[in-house]
Parts: sequence; C-alpha cells; structure tokens
Amino acid sequence: MTTISYDITPSRVLRSEWHKLWTLRSTWITVVSAVLLVLGVGVLMGTTYTSDGGDSDVDTVVLTLYGSQLGGVCLAVLGILVTAGEYSSGLARATFTAVPARLPVLWAKAAVLGTTVLTLSLLTNLATFLTAQVFLGDTDQAAALTDDGVLGALAGNAAGLTLLSLLALGLGAALRSVPGALGAFIGGVLVLPEVIGMLPYDAVDTALRHFPTQAAGVLGSATPLPDAPSAGAALLALTLWAAAALTAPALLLRHRDVRG
Amino acid sequence: MVPRYDTARPAADHGRTPAPRPLRSVEAMIRAERLTKRYGDRTVVRDLSFTVRPGTVTGFLGPNGAGKSTTLRMILGLDAPTRGTATVDGRAYAGHPAPLTRVGALLDARSFHPGRIAFHHLMALAHTHGIPRSRVEHVLGVTGLTEVAGRRVKGFSLGMGQRLGIAAALLGDPAAVVLDEPVNGLDPEGVRWVRTLLRDLAAEGRTVLVSSHLMSEMALTADRLVVIGKGRLLADTTVAELVRDAGAASVLVVSPDADRLRTLLPAPARTSDEGPGTLRVTGLDAPAIGRVAAAHAVELHALTPETASLEQAFMDLTHDSVEYQGAPA
Repeated sequence: MTTISYDITPSRVLRSEWHKLWTLRSTWITVVSAVLLVLGVGVLMGTTYTSDGGDSDVDTVVLTLYGSQLGGVCLAVLGILVTAGEYSSGLARATFTAVPARLPVLWAKAAVLGTTVLTLSLLTNLATFLTAQVFLGDTDQAAALTDDGVLGALAGNAAGLTLLSLLALGLGAALRSVPGALGAFIGGVLVLPEVIGMLPYDAVDTALRHFPTQAAGVLGSATPLPDAPSAGAALLALTLWAAAALTAPALLLRHRDVRG
Repeated sequence: MVPRYDTARPAADHGRTPAPRPLRSVEAMIRAERLTKRYGDRTVVRDLSFTVRPGTVTGFLGPNGAGKSTTLRMILGLDAPTRGTATVDGRAYAGHPAPLTRVGALLDARSFHPGRIAFHHLMALAHTHGIPRSRVEHVLGVTGLTEVAGRRVKGFSLGMGQRLGIAAALLGDPAAVVLDEPVNGLDPEGVRWVRTLLRDLAAEGRTVLVSSHLMSEMALTADRLVVIGKGRLLADTTVAELVRDAGAASVLVVSPDADRLRTLLPAPARTSDEGPGTLRVTGLDAPAIGRVAAAHAVELHALTPETASLEQAFMDLTHDSVEYQGAPA
C-alpha cells in the first residue's frame, strides 16, 4: 500500500485558491462586467467615430480601449474581494488554519488573480480592437494589428489592468476590509493623482506620470504620449507600485493575529 | 473553471462504504505552557498551562469572556501568544507539514464565505492538503449535510453552519479535534449527535478538546475538565473530582423514627435536621445507613443520595471571575 502525502505544497495552495476564485458568483459578475464594458465602449467608440470629430489626435488603441478605465475598476473590486472578502466573511480563519504559513496563500491569490486578469484582458483587448476596426476601417483611425506599437499597446493595457488589480488585491490584504480597501483604491489610486495634479510644481508633474493610473495609460498607448515616461519606465513604475502593495501585507501577515 | 457540484448525483453511498483509508498516523497531545495573551493593557489569558491527552474528551470550561476562544486560536496559530507556547505533538501547530491531519478545528464564529456552496467551501480547504473529493463527500455525509451541500452557505441556519464547521474539522481525519462551543445553535437532536460524535472520536484514540460555557453540557460529554476564569486556570480535573471537591455528597433520610436513627448512626456520620422526620446525613453512604436502619428495625420512608450539583460546583469555582454578574431582580 502506498502512503499518500497530505503535506501542503505550493501547487496545492494554488489549486485551492483557484477553486475559491471560481466558486463565487462575485468573480463571474466582476469579470463578465469588465469584459462587457471594454467591448461595449470599444464598439460604441467605433460606431460613433467620425474623422472630423476632433478625436483625430487620440491614439487608436487608447480610443478603442476607453472602456478599460471602467473595466479596470471592476477588476480592482475583484482583487479586493479576493483578499479582504475573506476577512469580512470569517473565511480567513479557516484558510489560515489550513495553511498556517499564511504567505503561500497571499502569493497563490496574487498568481491566480494575475493569471486570470492578464489572460482575459489580452483576449478582450484583441477582440475589442478587431471589432472596433470593423467600424473604423474607413476613417482616419483605421489601423491594423501589425501597425507600429498596436500589439504592444494592447498587451501593455492588459499588463496595466493586471498590475492595478494586483495593487488592489494587496490593499485588500493589508486593510482586511472591503469598503476600506475600495475607498483606499478609489481615493488613493484614482482620485489623489488628479488632486495632486492641480499643484503648480514641475516635480509634482514628473512624479505624477509615474503614478499607477498614469503609468497604465502610457502602457496602453500605441504612440508615445507627450512628456510621458517610456513604456519600459512606466511598466517598472507600475510593477513597483503593485509590489509595494503586496509587500506591506506580506510583512504584516506573518505575525498579525487573525482576529474575529 | 471548477468542476460543478452536481446535486442530482448524490454523493455516492457514504455511511455504507467504509471511510477512506485513515489519514491519521500517530496520536496528538495538545499542550499549553504558560500561555499569556495581552491586547493592549487587557490581559485575556494569563499564564495558562494544561495538557490535553488522547483518548479522552477534555472539556474547556469557563464563563463567557474567560479567554477560551483566544486560547484555542493560539493553539491553532491564528493568534500569537504574548508569552508562552502552545504545541501539538511537541511542535507548534504551524510547524506541521499537514496540519489538517493533526488538528481539525471548529472556531467560535462562522469561518466560511456566505456566497459559496458548502461542497465548494470544503473542497477548497481539502485542496490545500490534496485531500480527495471522496473524503469531502464522506464528511458531508457524517455531518448530515449531503442534502444541502449544493446550497449557498448564506442560507444556512446556525445549526447547519455548526455542522459545516464540524465537517471542515473532520476533513483531514485529524488526530485531534478542537471545537469551540460546538453545540451552539444546534437542536436537541443535533446536541445529542455532537455528544456521540465527541465520544466516538475519543474512543478512536483521538484527542478531543471542546469548549463550553455550560457545565451541564460538559458533564454529559467530558471526562476531564480544564476550567478557566478571567484567563487563569481555575481547575484541571475530572468531572467526578470536581463534584467531590465542590461539597461532600449527602443522603437525605425520611423516617418517623428520625431521632432514634440519629443516635444509632456510627461515626463518621454527621447529621443535620431538615424538617420534621427528615435528616441530612454526611459521611455515610445510603447502603450503610440502610443497613443500620434495618438492623435496628427503623422504618424508612425515603433514602435519597444527593450529590452537589455540577452546576453549583462550577458556579462556586468561577464566581469571582464572571465578567458581568446579574443582580437578583
């Protein structure tokens, strides 16, 4: 008779988190909403666009993927639910009793969410671009996938959405409250840069271009934006934001009591 | 993405087929050594030491707010002790490579996401240890949840929630179980089921630690008792000892010849009057009193052994450590 080992392994924790993610209705709602928003706004942009309407100077990919600003919020909500949702429901107690090392849970959650968001947004962005181009074909926004920077921007937009959702996941893990993390994300990530942007200092402007949403904007543009950091610098900045948002709860997780 | 749980396909034939191969290998002893937990300037658990042994049901008893849940969370590594250690098999709970097979736990409050169906909740926990689906279906059967396994947990009654918690505790076929107030919210049938379950688990050689604030419940289930109040150890004893220490057993005797019987009883018997023709006798048990009465042809109408009530013993023990005392209305 062979003895089966029931030891916790990273792949088992991953499997558990994958199972958790897809057995909640809220996952399906946020993911489907995000996809439909990006596709829907993309189609809307394509069908309503006119060559002389004043949007001619807007980057084609940016124009097509306007909806990802809304879709991104849905995916951030998902990221927050994945971590903070466990605390509000009390599931965290069961989770950390099953995996008392705790950190593997955080990494597994990040991996599962990251993979899901990246895959879905890549596919959605491709589909949205191709659909929008059906309507944009005879305008000055006509473009092909093979045009300079287009594939890179479609992928960059997906990378931006992925890193923003991981940032939200980290906020959820650190704050352990769905409303708290949602407030922090909307206030700190979406609104704060706009407020700081009103300050009349050049240094502030430079710093702002490396803030999460701005960096994500750079990543999603096929043509270089004026005064913006390079795509590489933007990717690095956004990665550091997400890493910082994950490091904070990782440091806290080891020793903080799982109360409740 | 995840295999659907098919409610139309009943979870095999648990109950009739034997349980899957036991995952359990060795027995687990739970030990708390000088455990102390402070939150700010409030000390919830103070210098608490006790040992829970395999093969018995150990009741963990104390009034509400005594620090029972905090102690159990420290045993499970959810809360870090301010001082002291809690170990399972000589090792911190978190140090076990497959902790669900060492200790299964039901904690005080609900520990599941309301939007997930019961089956998926258990399956997600099972995945962390590679525990097979058949075992999940088995514990659903054992806890009587098979019928509702496909329902979202948010619709569960308190009792069903407790059963789901117990199912999760049994998932790893653990060597020890730690259950915080398991009968809370259960109907009488459920309470009896928990009692039997705890006894069976102990009879299989497992370590069973079960907390309660109800002495009467523990009297029916536990062999050993660890009693705490305001975070301190008040008694580490057996049910029988607690009663004996709480007050000597006495015998109530009713006889028309009570006065004569009083003079006939040998030492160390002591008697006190309890009304006309009624004696309370301590120091001599009912058979001995009966024999004396028979030998001297004293007519007896009643001969009733009385033990100090366990509830009273518990109240005496914890009286000083109850957080909020009610005054007589």
